Amino acid sequence: MTTRLRLQELLGPILLVVAFSYAVGLQSAQGLLIVQSTLALFVMVLALHVFVGNSGVLSFGHGAFAMFGAFASGIVTTPSNIKEHSLQLQHLYPFLVNLNLGMYPSLVLAILAGAIVAGLSGLLLMRLNGLAAGIATFALLGVAYNIFFNNNRIGPGSQALLALPPFQFFEEPVVLTVIVMLAVYLFGISRAGRTLRATREDPLAAPALGISIMRVRWIAFTLSGAIAGLGGAMFAHVAGTVQVQDYYLPYTFMTLSMLIIGGGASLWGATVGTLLVTGIGQILLMMEQQKPILGIVVHLPNGTRAIVIALSLVVMLLWRSDGVTKGREFKLGMPKLRK
Amino acid sequence: MNRAFEAAEISKSFGALQVLDNVSITVNAGESVGLLGPNGAGKSTLINIIAGYEKQDGGLVTLDGTPLDDYAPHVRAQMGVARTFQAGRLFPQLTVAENVALGALGLGLSGKIARQRSEHVLEVLGITDLEGIPAGGLSHGSARLVGLARALAAQPKYLIMDEPAAGLNEHEVPALLSALSKVREETGCGMLLVEHNVGLVAQACSRVVVLAAGSMIFNGDPQAALNDEGVKSAYLGDAAFGSGH
Repeated sequence: MTTRLRLQELLGPILLVVAFSYAVGLQSAQGLLIVQSTLALFVMVLALHVFVGNSGVLSFGHGAFAMFGAFASGIVTTPSNIKEHSLQLQHLYPFLVNLNLGMYPSLVLAILAGAIVAGLSGLLLMRLNGLAAGIATFALLGVAYNIFFNNNRIGPGSQALLALPPFQFFEEPVVLTVIVMLAVYLFGISRAGRTLRATREDPLAAPALGISIMRVRWIAFTLSGAIAGLGGAMFAHVAGTVQVQDYYLPYTFMTLSMLIIGGGASLWGATVGTLLVTGIGQILLMMEQQKPILGIVVHLPNGTRAIVIALSLVVMLLWRSDGVTKGREFKLGMPKLRK
Repeated sequence: MNRAFEAAEISKSFGALQVLDNVSITVNAGESVGLLGPNGAGKSTLINIIAGYEKQDGGLVTLDGTPLDDYAPHVRAQMGVARTFQAGRLFPQLTVAENVALGALGLGLSGKIARQRSEHVLEVLGITDLEGIPAGGLSHGSARLVGLARALAAQPKYLIMDEPAAGLNEHEVPALLSALSKVREETGCGMLLVEHNVGLVAQACSRVVVLAAGSMIFNGDPQAALNDEGVKSAYLGDAAFGSGH
């Protein structure tokens, strides 16, 4: 649990992410896609780290903020002529048909959308604790899903929004991710971040120190909503499409698994968890698709990847609930991940 | 206006069990008051009510004349009522200095001021050598002192200490007494010392209130309490009374 700026804690994860991006992303078009989608998921995991990792309150609702971010960015970056002629967008509000923004203004819009939805819903949700909070955030995800699935005035409804512009340069998502990592780390060492972790460690002692649990949780929830909005938008632009199902249960499960497996309490844990789950997932996917790995073909039945990740999550929760990093930040000379 | 912290005519029941019955206690600014009583007397419930962790069934808690009943624990802390806990309740992964700094950060002060206050309080209590140690690795006695330091970092008007000497050894109790004396000199804050240890209270406080079975049975000079038949009776069989520990 970090309380002041230690450069290695920040630079370690950043260097790992940058090294991963260049090592894998420059190999092939598929490698580029893997890197960009991993970074988009990682931004979402960072959003979860800000709130879930620092507060200790589980949230199943961050997919809702990602949805709002993805649709906000997607609808304003889809070219007007496509919006005019697309069957699934024929009921769109006219002002949305004519509204066109560039990629970066749309990402700002996504951040604002995530922050506003999180900020408003947080006013109610942050009054809850424990199981009630988890269930209420899950309900929020359900509400958001139904809004986008059933409302074709603001999007394609159950259909996909197509033709989103991709990132022009390889470095763009990498730089965005690094900026988010910096913001997340600075939040962690800020007064709000430190007092939030105090509420996680001892919710009885924290109020005696003048800490308003609801207030610090709300700040973190709103910030994490903003980051989730960005993560959702990045995911949309990497895929070139937005569909509400993409941000529902599998997305929620995958990103929470990444956080928990790595160790939710630290930036290092979020980083390691994302890359570990991605790496294992890619290997298992290649096996499912009977692709050779180092010249050897191993065939695994479809679905193995999801089962292994789910079992890994169970194993971690049973025997190492603070993740492979034990929730610690990166430190030079770390002998090993496991103690 | 009388500058005082007051709990007036406090009553509290848990189901059919009456834990506090019309209990009143006042701590004037700069005064040290001991709250004594055997197990089950209602001491912890009373300070939980004062700090806002429990809601009383009847009575009123005021701070310098301002009713506190509508204020949550964190607001009461911001208004100047700090408390320590029996179990210390430190943040084990943080160092001692970081724990103490949270006492100021929680009030919205900057990291720099919080760090300065942490250094100062640790110096006053004579535990500067502990500042870099993770709180989870502290001895019982040291943890109590750090809990006290964390509360003092808020520079409270009134400080409620819940059995700070519980579990301390014969060397640690004098150290705690010395620390309390320094705190009184340094801050001038009013103190409510909740204790089993009659000897410690007699040395640290100018007045004691004794509870038994949820009622106040004594309010006055600590030495007089030692000779009071009602107090003796309440403590009958309690080794702490006779030995002063």
